[in-house]
Amino acid sequence: MSAGDPLWYKDAVIYQIHVKTFFDSDGDGVGDFKGLSSKLDYLEALGVNTLWLLPTFPSPFRDDGYDIADYYSIHPMYGTMEDFTSFLGAAHARGLRVVTELVLNHTSDKHPWFQEARNSRDSPRRDWYVWSDTDDRYRGVRIIFLDTETSNWAWDPVSKQYYWHRFFSHQPDLNYDNPAVREEMWRVMQFWAGLGVDGFRVDAVPYLVEREGTTCEGMPETHEVIRYLRAQLDAHFPGRMLLAEANQVPELVRPYFGDGDEFHMAFHFPLMTRMFMAIRLEDRGPLTDIVRRTPILPDTCQWAVFLRNHDELTLEMVTPEEREFMYDEYASDPVARLNLGIRRRLAPLLDGDRRRIELMNGLLMSLPGSPIVYYGDEIGMGDNVYLGDRNGVRTPMQWSGGWNGGFSSADPEQLAFAMISNPVYGYQAVNVLAQERTHHSLLNWMRRLIRVRRSTRVFSRGTIALLDPPNQRVLAYVRTFEKEQVLVVNNLSGTVQAVELDLSSLAGAIPVEMFGQSLFPRIGSQPYFLTLGPHAFYWFRLRRL
Amino acid sequence: MADESLLSDDLLRQLVALGHVDVLVGIPTLNNATTVVDVVRAAQAGLGKYFPRARSVIFNADSGSDDGTPVLVRDATTDDTGTVTASRPLRTTQRITTPYHGLPGKGSAMRMIFAVADLLSADAIVALDPDVTSVTPEWISALVRPVREGQADLVAPLYSRAAVDGPLVTQLVRPLVRAAYGWRVQEPLMGEFGCSRRFVAHCLERSWGTGVIPDGVDLWMSGEALANGFRPGQAALGPRLLAHARKPPGLPDVFQQVMDAVCSCLELHAGYWLSRGPAEPVPCYGTLPGAVELGPRPDVTRMAESFARDVSALNPVLATILSAPTLAGVTAAAATRPLVYPDELWAATVFEFLLAYHRAVMTREHVTQTLLPLYLGRTASFLLQHGSSGPAVVHDALESLGLAFEQAKPQAAAQWKKA
Amino acid sequence: MTQLVADAVRQASVNFVDTVAMLLPRVLITVSIVAVGWVIAWALKWAVRWILIWLRFNHGCDRIGVGAVLKTADLPPADTLVSLIVFWLVWVGFLLSGVDVLGFTALEGMVRSFALFVPRLLVAIVILVLGVVCANFAWRATLIAGVNARIPSPRVVSGGVRALVLILAGAMALDQIAVARTIVLTAFAIAFGAVMLGLAIAFGVGGGSIARRILDHWFPEHPGAEQEEFRHL
Repeated sequence: MSAGDPLWYKDAVIYQIHVKTFFDSDGDGVGDFKGLSSKLDYLEALGVNTLWLLPTFPSPFRDDGYDIADYYSIHPMYGTMEDFTSFLGAAHARGLRVVTELVLNHTSDKHPWFQEARNSRDSPRRDWYVWSDTDDRYRGVRIIFLDTETSNWAWDPVSKQYYWHRFFSHQPDLNYDNPAVREEMWRVMQFWAGLGVDGFRVDAVPYLVEREGTTCEGMPETHEVIRYLRAQLDAHFPGRMLLAEANQVPELVRPYFGDGDEFHMAFHFPLMTRMFMAIRLEDRGPLTDIVRRTPILPDTCQWAVFLRNHDELTLEMVTPEEREFMYDEYASDPVARLNLGIRRRLAPLLDGDRRRIELMNGLLMSLPGSPIVYYGDEIGMGDNVYLGDRNGVRTPMQWSGGWNGGFSSADPEQLAFAMISNPVYGYQAVNVLAQERTHHSLLNWMRRLIRVRRSTRVFSRGTIALLDPPNQRVLAYVRTFEKEQVLVVNNLSGTVQAVELDLSSLAGAIPVEMFGQSLFPRIGSQPYFLTLGPHAFYWFRLRRL
Repeated sequence: MADESLLSDDLLRQLVALGHVDVLVGIPTLNNATTVVDVVRAAQAGLGKYFPRARSVIFNADSGSDDGTPVLVRDATTDDTGTVTASRPLRTTQRITTPYHGLPGKGSAMRMIFAVADLLSADAIVALDPDVTSVTPEWISALVRPVREGQADLVAPLYSRAAVDGPLVTQLVRPLVRAAYGWRVQEPLMGEFGCSRRFVAHCLERSWGTGVIPDGVDLWMSGEALANGFRPGQAALGPRLLAHARKPPGLPDVFQQVMDAVCSCLELHAGYWLSRGPAEPVPCYGTLPGAVELGPRPDVTRMAESFARDVSALNPVLATILSAPTLAGVTAAAATRPLVYPDELWAATVFEFLLAYHRAVMTREHVTQTLLPLYLGRTASFLLQHGSSGPAVVHDALESLGLAFEQAKPQAAAQWKKA
Repeated sequence: MTQLVADAVRQASVNFVDTVAMLLPRVLITVSIVAVGWVIAWALKWAVRWILIWLRFNHGCDRIGVGAVLKTADLPPADTLVSLIVFWLVWVGFLLSGVDVLGFTALEGMVRSFALFVPRLLVAIVILVLGVVCANFAWRATLIAGVNARIPSPRVVSGGVRALVLILAGAMALDQIAVARTIVLTAFAIAFGAVMLGLAIAFGVGGGSIARRILDHWFPEHPGAEQEEFRHL
């Protein structure tokens, strides 16, 4: 599929899917690839053009599939390899690209490589992992999963040594100082790219290489590994994409793009956090600050922006004061907090407020970067904070108000995760079928939003120029791409606002509101006066005639 | 995009208040006080009767009338029209009249109409000629419906023509456009037409043929649509009766304008038509009423007689333009009694003139003016043969002429590429 | 006596040798100048011809009618002609410079006169060429307009127009090179005046109706009077 525009990912509108909980075709309570294939029409109608799948490899599922036991296969509960390739072909036939996971940093401790490595110190696989006689190497390196881990070293009783793990203790880190590891991971990429996968979302990138006396994050050797893999990918599979998961401030994420020779894309974590902050503070400051601090990327690179995903809403890269504010505003119940983050979906975070949900999605679709929609957020699904770990935001997709929300014909007790069933966010109240029948549902609104977003390349490829109106509750900016310009105005507050914008540099242009095609008075040299309803936003295409 | 002065502040205020429309009827005017009121009434009645739920606007671009045309457009009512169906529309059809100050001519007026249509996101746009007295409300339906139903991007008109009517179209422009562009459009000069928003946006992106087609904008639009993959259609309208308020230009001027437009379009779209294959039919919407006899049959005997003289007199000039066989054919045809100017010879003549125009073997105006007597001779020949024939016979004769042009095209295209 | 003759012959021989010795360097220089001039003229001729081909000069001349005239006169094509003119102009210039070196007084005068004559000759040629171009254009325009305006004998009229323009151009060219100035001026005045008088009489007496038709075409009182009785569009 990836023939065509090599920069296709810049125009991507990505939909993140947890195959396990999307649609179950065989009634075993677990979503599968056949089920996903049957829902491609829905995804096409939504308007997205790229699908990102959470891991579907064989795994003991102690980290919901991110602990991989076999890189070259599909877990039988998701179907066969043939099911996967059939899904891939069907997606490509609809113009949908597919991005899969590539967990480079670690494997499951059940992976044959680790089993071989631990069974003998002379095993050729021994050096595939990071071993130590003591647990005081790399002292001071932070622990990521604070709620469950107390150390980055775990004692292996079989081989009587410690092994390094930045995540769960059952996820030993691979040793990238061993060239064989790098070669093997390239073979993994080759395998999946050869099947037709259009890109890889690379998990936990900063932690590939460790060095004494450092934070063990973002080492120069890590970048060498990435450059090698990127070069191989470009040489053998041009047009494929690498997306980095590097939860850092933007200045520290910038190196992962290299000179356009490392990752094509990377998540913009801090932007996401500040969107939530800004809307709660009713102040554009946090957003404008992070936009100004976001470095310029090489021409072939792109940020990936998102509101929510399968993990907790991370608060790792904010100040303690900001973290406290976010906990107070969004997770007053401590059960919602996990690992320096908040494990809630978009709708519950925004109190189910339709206006705020629309505004946040409007920001997502109009700020620079390729937007990612987390499955279920397009209908405003809720969450279950009482499920362990982050499983509360990974509950089954709610297709209808019927049996198991239309997700599966299995017994409800058999489901991988229980359906959300409370009267507010339960499947009876929030589901695709009901929203497809309602013209002004959130689902139909999201479809219109994505359609307008994709009607122009201004949003996906344009520059951004922030405006600075006196009204701090209003965030306004101009996106420009070639000859096209769009003025975006957002009311971050829950009350009606008036704002005067200095648009003198755009004098002569006629604003045309993009959702309703309504004309607005021509921009002159005087301040341009607008009023906005609570949490309203406008996208104006600027015409010159 | 056009420059910023295309829309005055006053016009823009009116457009802001109007907002998005579904149908826009555009009428370019210049001193059409005697005829424009009926046109506006027909448009209004058509919109009310056939598109009662659509948001619509009648937009008049006036290039400086001094006979009160804009006021008449604005104030025309449908209440006292006995002949036009008076239905009470659900929506108010807005009317906007505005002057435009660009290069005089229909081209500038249409450009403004298109710009406004694009700004208002009109789904369907209709252009009417203010001089036409035979406009009916059904014309609006015929031109708009195929566009609104997604069947066509450009809907050309189909007029009921008698054999003697419009030989410049039937003998020259129509078969030439058919052969060159590969579409059987009956009225490529399109006095009235309908089009889609997509087509309007495309035309606005072009330089609007600035300096190329000030008066040939209709033909330019036909060419743009056919050459750029827009879906053509034809709507049966009926007879087209005109009442000019001012003296219309003489035949030499008209002929010059038409030929300049044709030749310019062929230059512009050479990349398309040079490799285009046989002509395809264009979908027709509706059925035409019978042709209207417009008056006593003209006496073409004088035209036929002067043809031989003209050919003889112009022989030295024709020798520079036509190939030897064609010149010999024309000379021989001029000597026939009654005059017979065969289809194949006429097709060869026209294409060779086009090539001469393209190569600029002499001043281009001289090339087109030299063709005029030959055109009159061909017209006389056709009318002598078919002036009294029935519609079916005339139709077959024109079809045969079209085929002759198609057969002559490949050789002409080959020579065009060499030039 | 014999001694005298011998002395005279010896002196003559010495004089001759001296003269030759004096002239020989000059002759050699002259020959060199002429030879170099020929090479330069040839190179310029080639360059000019190449430039004119690149500029499609022949095509332009065909367009304005000069090409046809040259063909009729059995002359080479326009670009070749121009390049030949350039060649001869340059080489003649070198020739004259070479002759000047020889120092023959009689020749110097001739050279000076010729040098003054050449620019006027060039201007006269230009006037003639322009005259031919204008004559052809006027002929064609008159012929076509006359045919379309239904003027009787349009070829005669257009031919007359061409002749007039050519005569005018010819007279101007001859005047430019000052050839038989008085005769040319007088003859032109007589001919031109006669033609004008003839046209006036013809129009005023015999061609009133034609004149009326032409004027009607230019300033019609009845719209459509000149048009055929049906609509062309």
